[in-house]
Amino acid sequence: MINGHTIDIEDLSKFYGRVKGIENINLTINRGEIFGFIGPNGAGKSTTIRILMNLIFPSGGHAKIMGMDVIKQTREIKMVTGYIPADASAYSSMEVGEFLNYCGRFYKKSGIEGRIKDLSELFELDLKRKVEDLSSGNRKKVSIIQSLIHSPDLLIMDEPTTGLDPLVKALFFDLLRSENTRGMTIFFSSHILSEVQLLCKRVAIIKEGKIIQLEDIESLRKKQLKKVLIEFSGKPDSGAFSIPGVVEIKTGAGNILTFLFSGEISTIIDLLSGKMINNLIIEEPSLDEIFMHYYRI
Amino acid sequence: MNRNLFMKEIKRNRVALFIWMAVIVLLISVTMSVFRTFIANQSKIMGLLNIIPGGLLEFKGISDVNALLSVMGFYAANNVIYMMVLGSIFSIVLSANILLKEEYNKTAEYLITKPLTRTDIFLSKSVVILVNIFLLNLATSLAGLISLELVKNGPFSLKAFSLLSLYTLLLNILFGAIGLFISTVVKRARPITTFCIGLVLVLYFIYTLSKITGSISWLGYLAPFRFVNTDVTNPAYGLELKNIAYFIILSAVFAVASYRFYIKRDIYA
Repeated sequence: MINGHTIDIEDLSKFYGRVKGIENINLTINRGEIFGFIGPNGAGKSTTIRILMNLIFPSGGHAKIMGMDVIKQTREIKMVTGYIPADASAYSSMEVGEFLNYCGRFYKKSGIEGRIKDLSELFELDLKRKVEDLSSGNRKKVSIIQSLIHSPDLLIMDEPTTGLDPLVKALFFDLLRSENTRGMTIFFSSHILSEVQLLCKRVAIIKEGKIIQLEDIESLRKKQLKKVLIEFSGKPDSGAFSIPGVVEIKTGAGNILTFLFSGEISTIIDLLSGKMINNLIIEEPSLDEIFMHYYRI
Repeated sequence: MNRNLFMKEIKRNRVALFIWMAVIVLLISVTMSVFRTFIANQSKIMGLLNIIPGGLLEFKGISDVNALLSVMGFYAANNVIYMMVLGSIFSIVLSANILLKEEYNKTAEYLITKPLTRTDIFLSKSVVILVNIFLLNLATSLAGLISLELVKNGPFSLKAFSLLSLYTLLLNILFGAIGLFISTVVKRARPITTFCIGLVLVLYFIYTLSKITGSISWLGYLAPFRFVNTDVTNPAYGLELKNIAYFIILSAVFAVASYRFYIKRDIYA
């Protein structure tokens, strides 16, 4: 491991012919961290993860996991890494227990059978059922369990909650927190920001194959970006607020004007002087709004 | 090679293997069971065969109708289509899907992210292909040998039988390597069974066409069937090193090329 980093990504690029997947991604994830990787579909999240898991090969740059090269030392990396794919199927003709034991035998470690039993009980998954008979939610549970049976030091998850109901999702997040306390690093890719917010301490926002923001989730929230709602007595003059730092200006019913603002709040107060207003609300925007702000820059 | 993956693949393919074995063994047994009736009515049947167009007989694997009067000639002529064509279809379909089905069934996401290298996966699956082809050839050859012993009207050359079996095995292995190669060069993962079956049949058609049409006999060199010597009644029938070398070298070329492509292949869900 280099400098306590579990993942080191340097100038990583992937082009599909002329089409850009990701370009010059640089990222480090610290040991024991729960890291969020957010962006809409097609932004490059899965491409980055698939390179880390040696499913695809980069066009440029390189990546290391625990100091090991993701191409040259893929076997060693996968001994200590778990992976929950966004979209995968277990062998449909197998029983759940048969599939999980098959996965477990690759690690040549003791205690795997006990781990399968514990995790399947936790998720109330019947090991005797055929994979082909499972609902999508139960298939996702199989995917989660197979990623954790060898107690990995790093868990890479690509949209892991798709198909899970809220109760199972809560159970899964509790399990992740507990595994993180044990020391497991988690790389959580999602487009569902509320989930990232619940679990992660640090986050990278990816847009069109490039990382556009990388910081603590709390500082992202606390950054000068504010959501401003003004209720005017008469029709609002939105043009007066078209100043640097103001984005997402919207006028709504009831003479309401809303926008996101980054800068000194006194600037807004100055703009309001002499204007008749009924209400002024300045609050922290939701993570979705912050995300959309970065996304529209 | 990974034992866990190897055992899973053997188990996964065993039903298909047993079905193919049963079908080919049954076809050989049924065909050989009529040999004595054929000999008893040889004058009538030979007369009938003489009016059938040569091309049709060639397509059925019969180059010389007189060779049918010996049990070994009858075996080679009647079973060539089963052991060579059906065995090759089995081999190419198995090998074309063994890597690719992990992709189009979306199980590759699990397999490739387990502690394995691409080399481990390729080697394990290649050994599964070889074991399956070997077992199919063993079963069909045994069925052929037993049926020859049961219906023979005189001694037959065990050497000729062994060599014909060896040629068939090498032919099947070559088609196995071709299937593997095709699966590693297709851009997007999808079932290619129909294409592979079509390829074997087209190559067999080219081979028979080249045998009956002198002006395009050179075309036969495009088909691996050309390099299987089925002239078992010829006293000079023996091991032809150039043919053996053709199968071994071409199989190795396809296998190595497949490996080179697979270790660099992007795997998509």
